[in-house]
Amino acid sequence: MPGPVVRLRGVSKRYGGFTALDRVDLDVDQGEILALLGPNGAGKTTLISIVAGLVRASAGEASVLGRDVVRDYRFTRRAVGLVPQEVNFDPFFSVEETLHFQAGYFGVRLGADRLEEILQALELTEKRHANTRSLSGGMKRRLLIGKALVHEPRVLFLDEPTAGVDVRLRQQLWAYVRRLRARGTTVVLTTHYLEEAEALADRVAVIDRGRILLVEGKDRLLERQGGKTLRISLTAPIASLPGALLALGARLEDGGGAIDVDAPPGGSFGPALAALAEAGLPVGDVETRRARLEDVFVSILGGDAGKEAQ
Amino acid sequence: MNLLGVQTLFVKEVRRFLRVPGQTLLSPLITTSLYFLVFGWSLGSRIQEVDGVPYARFILPGLIVLGVVTNAYLNSASSLFVMKLQGTVVDLLVSPLSYAEILGAFVAAAVARGMLVGGIMWIVGALFTGFGVAHPVLALLLLVAVAAGFAALGFMTATWAGSFEQVNFLPTFVVTPLTFLGGVFYSASMAPPALRWLTRSNPIYYLVETLRWSVTGRADAPPEAGFAVATVLAAGALLAAYGLLRSGWRLRG
Repeated sequence: MPGPVVRLRGVSKRYGGFTALDRVDLDVDQGEILALLGPNGAGKTTLISIVAGLVRASAGEASVLGRDVVRDYRFTRRAVGLVPQEVNFDPFFSVEETLHFQAGYFGVRLGADRLEEILQALELTEKRHANTRSLSGGMKRRLLIGKALVHEPRVLFLDEPTAGVDVRLRQQLWAYVRRLRARGTTVVLTTHYLEEAEALADRVAVIDRGRILLVEGKDRLLERQGGKTLRISLTAPIASLPGALLALGARLEDGGGAIDVDAPPGGSFGPALAALAEAGLPVGDVETRRARLEDVFVSILGGDAGKEAQ
Repeated sequence: MNLLGVQTLFVKEVRRFLRVPGQTLLSPLITTSLYFLVFGWSLGSRIQEVDGVPYARFILPGLIVLGVVTNAYLNSASSLFVMKLQGTVVDLLVSPLSYAEILGAFVAAAVARGMLVGGIMWIVGALFTGFGVAHPVLALLLLVAVAAGFAALGFMTATWAGSFEQVNFLPTFVVTPLTFLGGVFYSASMAPPALRWLTRSNPIYYLVETLRWSVTGRADAPPEAGFAVATVLAAGALLAAYGLLRSGWRLRG
C-alpha cells in the first residue's frame, strides 16, 4: 500500500510566545478528501501553509509524497495546489493571463484544452479576457481555485474555499471537488461550514489550539459519536411521563405535546417504543433525527474545553 | 533550474509596467526632458561649456543616471509592494521558484524598465546634443550594474515597507538629493570648497562622472571609481536582497 500523500510528524509553529501548532502528527491518504475542522485561530491555515511552503515550521517534519517540503521544495510545491483563504487578484491582468502566469511559475505551459477545462469548470469562460479587478467576489474566489489547479497538483489544499460564495455555486464547487477526487486528486479542506465537510469529506480531523484532537472517517465518527433522537408527537398533551419512559431518559417537550428520547451511538429505540405502546399514549407522529457533524464537532470541542478547565 | 518560471515572472513584470506606460515611461521622460530643456537648452546658451563639453551634453549623463536609477528602483519596489498588498505574493511563494530565480526575474525586469527609460532619455537628449558616445559598451555595462543595484534596493524596501510612503522614501529623500548634489548640473572642480567636498563624498557623483566619461570622453573623476561604486553597489544590494528574501522576513511566516 502506498504511503500517505501528506505526512506531518511533530510539527510545531511558534510565533514568539504563541504556539499556533503544537507537535502535530497527521497523515493524508491518496485520493481522499480530508476536512480539517476547528474554530478560528485553531491552527488550520498554519498547518496547510506549512505544507504549501508559505510558513516555516519551528519544529518537526512535513512531507509530500515522501519528500521533505523544505529540502525538496521544488518537487513538493509542484505536487501541491493551494487555494488561500484571502481573495487575491492582480489588477494589471486578465483571467486568462493570470492562469497562464500561474502555470508558468510552476514550469508548466498551460495548454488550450486544460485552460478551457478550468474556465468551464469554474464558470469563468465568459470572463476569460476580463481584467481580474472587474470580477465579482465569487468569481475572484473561483479564479483562486483555477490558479491552484493549473499545474494539476496531486494534493489540493482548499482554505475556506466557499466563504462568501452563493448556494448554487457552492454546490457546483462541491461537485467539481468530487470530480477531482474521482480523478485521484487528494483534497484537504478547511471550512467553517460543517455542512460542507459533511457533504464532501471522507475523513475529518478536528484541530483546536494547535493540537489535533481527533482524526477519523466521517461516517465512523458520526456512527460512533453521533447518537439519535426519537421525537413522538402526541395528538393531545400529557401532564407527566409514564415511569417506564422516564426510566429510559425521555423528556417532555412542547408543553407536553411531544416526547424526546435519545439513543446512544449504536443503540436502538426498541425499549422506548415498547414503553410507549404499553402506556397507550395518543401518538400522532414519530420521527428520528441523527446527529450531524456539527453536533459531534461541538461535543468534541466542548469535551476538550472541559478537560482544559479541570 | 525553473527556466520557464523565471521567464514567466520576467514577462509578467515587464508587461505590468508596459500596461501603464504613462506612469512608467512617459512620466519620467517628460520630467527629465523638462530638466534638459530648462537647464540644458535655455541655461546652456549662457554657460556654453563645462570641462570643454557643451553644457547640454554635460548634463545628459546625470539625467540618464537619475532616470535609470529611479525607474529600476520603483519597478521592483512598487511591483513587490503591490503584490504584498493584494496578497498575490502568495502565488510566488507557493511556486517552485527558488529565491534566486524570484529575485533574478524581478531585477531583470526592473533593469529592463530602467534601460528603456534611460534609452528614451538618451535619444531625446541626443537630438539636441548629438548621438556620439565615446565608450558605448562601458556606458551600457555601468547602467546595467547601477540599475540592478537599485532594483535590489527597491526589492528590499518593498519587503520592509508597510505603506507607499515608505516605498517612496528612498527615491524622494535619498536618490534625488544625492543625484542633484552628485554633479548632474555642475562640475565638482568648479564648485565652492564645501560643495566640492560634499559632492566628492557622494557615491552617486562617481556614477554620474563615469557615465559622463563613457558618453563624452571627459570627466572630473577617474572612471574606475564609478565602475567600482557600481560593482560594489550591485553586488552588495543583490546579496543583501537575496539574504533578506531567503530569511523570509515579512514574506514567509
